[in-house]
Amino acid sequence: MFLTRLVRAARPLKRTDDVFRRVENEATIVLGQRKLFQRLVPGAMHALIFWGFLVLFPTILMAGIGAIDRDWSFPWLGRQGWYMAMVDVFIVAVLVGIAAAVWIRKVVRPRRFDGSHLGEADLILFMIALVVLTLLGWHAARIAAGLNEWPAHWSFLSNAVSHLVGSGASARERILVWAHVGVILTFLCYLPYSKHLHIATAAINVYFSRTRRPGRLEPLRFDVPEAELRFGAGTIRDLTWKEMVDSFSCTECGRCQDVCPAYATGKSLSPKLVIMGIRDQVFAEGPNLLAGGELTPIAGNGVPEDMIWDCVTCGACVHECPVSIEHIDHIVDLRRDLVMVQSSFPAEAESMLRDVERVGNPWGKPQGDRESWAEGLGVRVVAEGEPAPEILYWVGCAAAYDERARVAAESTVKLLQKAGVDFAILGARESCTGDPARRMGNEYVFQAYAEQNVATLNETGVTKIVASCPHCLNSLGNEYPDFGGRYEVVHHTQLLAELLRDGKLEPAKSETEITYHDSCYLARHNDVAAEPRELVAAVGKPVEMEKHGKNTFCCGAGGAHMWMEERGSPINEERVRQAAETGAETLAVACPFCTVMLDDGVRASGKQLRVVDVSTLLLEGVSDT
Amino acid sequence: MTLVFLEGVDDELSRQAVTLAESLGGDVRAVTVDGPFAPAAWAAAIVDAAGGDDIVGPGSDRGNEVLAHVAAQLDLPFAANVSEVRGDQLTRIRWGGTLLEEARLHADRKVLTAAPFAFVASVDSTQAQVLAPNLDGAVAVVDHIAPDTGGKVSLADAKVVVSGGRGVGSAEGFAILEDLAALLDAAVGCSRVVTSAGWRPHSDQVGQTGTKVSPDLYIACGISGATQHIAGCKGAKALLAINADREATIFAHADYAVIGDLHEIVPAIAAELRKVKGS
Repeated sequence: MFLTRLVRAARPLKRTDDVFRRVENEATIVLGQRKLFQRLVPGAMHALIFWGFLVLFPTILMAGIGAIDRDWSFPWLGRQGWYMAMVDVFIVAVLVGIAAAVWIRKVVRPRRFDGSHLGEADLILFMIALVVLTLLGWHAARIAAGLNEWPAHWSFLSNAVSHLVGSGASARERILVWAHVGVILTFLCYLPYSKHLHIATAAINVYFSRTRRPGRLEPLRFDVPEAELRFGAGTIRDLTWKEMVDSFSCTECGRCQDVCPAYATGKSLSPKLVIMGIRDQVFAEGPNLLAGGELTPIAGNGVPEDMIWDCVTCGACVHECPVSIEHIDHIVDLRRDLVMVQSSFPAEAESMLRDVERVGNPWGKPQGDRESWAEGLGVRVVAEGEPAPEILYWVGCAAAYDERARVAAESTVKLLQKAGVDFAILGARESCTGDPARRMGNEYVFQAYAEQNVATLNETGVTKIVASCPHCLNSLGNEYPDFGGRYEVVHHTQLLAELLRDGKLEPAKSETEITYHDSCYLARHNDVAAEPRELVAAVGKPVEMEKHGKNTFCCGAGGAHMWMEERGSPINEERVRQAAETGAETLAVACPFCTVMLDDGVRASGKQLRVVDVSTLLLEGVSDT
Repeated sequence: MTLVFLEGVDDELSRQAVTLAESLGGDVRAVTVDGPFAPAAWAAAIVDAAGGDDIVGPGSDRGNEVLAHVAAQLDLPFAANVSEVRGDQLTRIRWGGTLLEEARLHADRKVLTAAPFAFVASVDSTQAQVLAPNLDGAVAVVDHIAPDTGGKVSLADAKVVVSGGRGVGSAEGFAILEDLAALLDAAVGCSRVVTSAGWRPHSDQVGQTGTKVSPDLYIACGISGATQHIAGCKGAKALLAINADREATIFAHADYAVIGDLHEIVPAIAAELRKVKGS
């Protein structure tokens, strides 16, 4: 088959480990419809249809054989009254689901469908309705003709309808069973040409979706034979098989588009259109790929370049997708080709890439100034050959060089000293983790830094790291294991919450209303949302924004956007608007980039909000006592 | 035998390349190329002229580009920015001078460029054979067009930059900055906030994602001094900050500070300048 040949021709990717987690995903995401239920009404609509067809599936098989042999029936199951009662219940369920879907599509008309194939969806709903209605008719005719092998009274609906069948039930039974089989066969033929293909691919896609933390990017291998070398995705020949299956699984539901901060602020990116664009190009050029022919680039054809650069890699789309499509992988692979092969990327990001490569931080500041923020604070710097502390504080470039971001580092250090924690910093031996280069697509530079930093950390004998930058935390904890660095990595809010619980910090509680903004790389990519809230609750009155926790809304800096110009209306100002709506006086953050972006947003919009790191709030609370 | 490519017989970097070529031992022949700059075609002419000799060039933009083509055409490794050669061992200057690389050249023939100012220029009078490359189908430079700056000093080249931030307050507010700039023969710049607000075009933006400037004097008016902005003006020899907020981080980077309202101070400086100039 065309699709399986495409997948077999695609680039390799290891996704067969961790069987237990994969089975669990299959049970919760597919059978349990977990991600669909992240939206209650559309989730229930889909679940009714999906669960309905799971129950109806044996009956559809029965019809298939029954069409040829009228007297055949499923052994045992075909004679069970309770099963036939369930069939009737789920026929109703599917019809209710279809009615809900029609209502959503024709009355509610959410914006998430913008750009989807709407006519196709209507046709599919119509065909699903035909499937269950012909099935109902067939069962009714079977009862009317006395062909039912199950006690008819169980089939409350079919039995009732059977009275309408009238004379000649036996012939009508034949007509209806063939009508049903005809609809099913037509539907099966139509499937591969439509977005309804997901009924065949989604369960497979979910099984092979990532089982590790979502913040980890798949590393490129540069030490392989030339034929296997891959520098991201230039044409469809460079796609991994998971990326192919991703594109076959998209149902154009638009949940990703609905939560995308770039889309919400008028940029050209829609994660849905990225996946649809790749799918269309795979289908159009697939025969060429298999024949080893010429292919066109994806960037600029299936996916416009603007879309590729608009992404902040916040992961809202990946978190939302009911069929476990991994949009960030696609976008980063496209960026990798543009940066490493084509050298075509937004010009303003060039100095960041160059500075990371040459001087080890994205702003081009001297490495010698890296520890100047800590002057007079009495922080131990681990020199070469000195023993590792119990906890290494990984400061990060932002806190080391940016005046606004360093306030959090100073607060954290003072709190750790107060609580008597044995910690130290690497000083000038610390450098960029390579994260902004990697998110921008320069995998080379990232891997060079990963190897260098892992060597430094391993030589020093570091086992536990506390980081105040969620982006550093993500690289150190989730990505460095791919390069031989295995450490216990925690965020400063996690460590401080632990000290709070142990009674080593006892802040005074104030009446200040505080709303906490979740950093994408903390809450969504690394599941840290409870601890910063513990700290906020210990010093003030927490109020939540509508989009919080794993549903947070990016500040606009992720995916190397800290160093790029923004097109469309600013994401940071939108987030500040959301924060101001809560009426809180304080906007608490736990990421240096969020600090800078949201503080800029507050200044630009003239709102009365104090943007401050959670650690600083805690220090103020402790100092007051 | 070594063939050395010169951008010109009197060119400083090219004469340094001659010194590198002489350090390899053996005879040195020099060539230059006539006609419009066409790197691949020039390289082909040099490859023809070299026979089986080593090839050396200056570590200039053109020298590195042409010799990269030479190496590609000969399928040989290319060592750029070489500062010393010992047999097949090389020292190269990398990453803007922050790194010295010790490398081994895995080839019988050398293709090298001399790191600028790592060698003393050769004083031997150089006779260079002039090559005429075949430009059929070649990519060649036909014209240089300087960007239109409307007759004003360009931001990147200006000796003095007068730059405004949020404190300027409006597009019209830049009139006093324009006035001061005209008196100082300076360019007007701005911070990101200003371009976001639409007061000035993006081409005027100084900072991480705008133009990087390195003037003798940078006058920052009403700019708070975010890291993103400092990244664009840290090359300035002197920084004068004018800001009403004494807590503004710009003062941490400033050589001269004026705490006060730029709407009073900038016109006052302009008036004083006019007095001095006697107009």
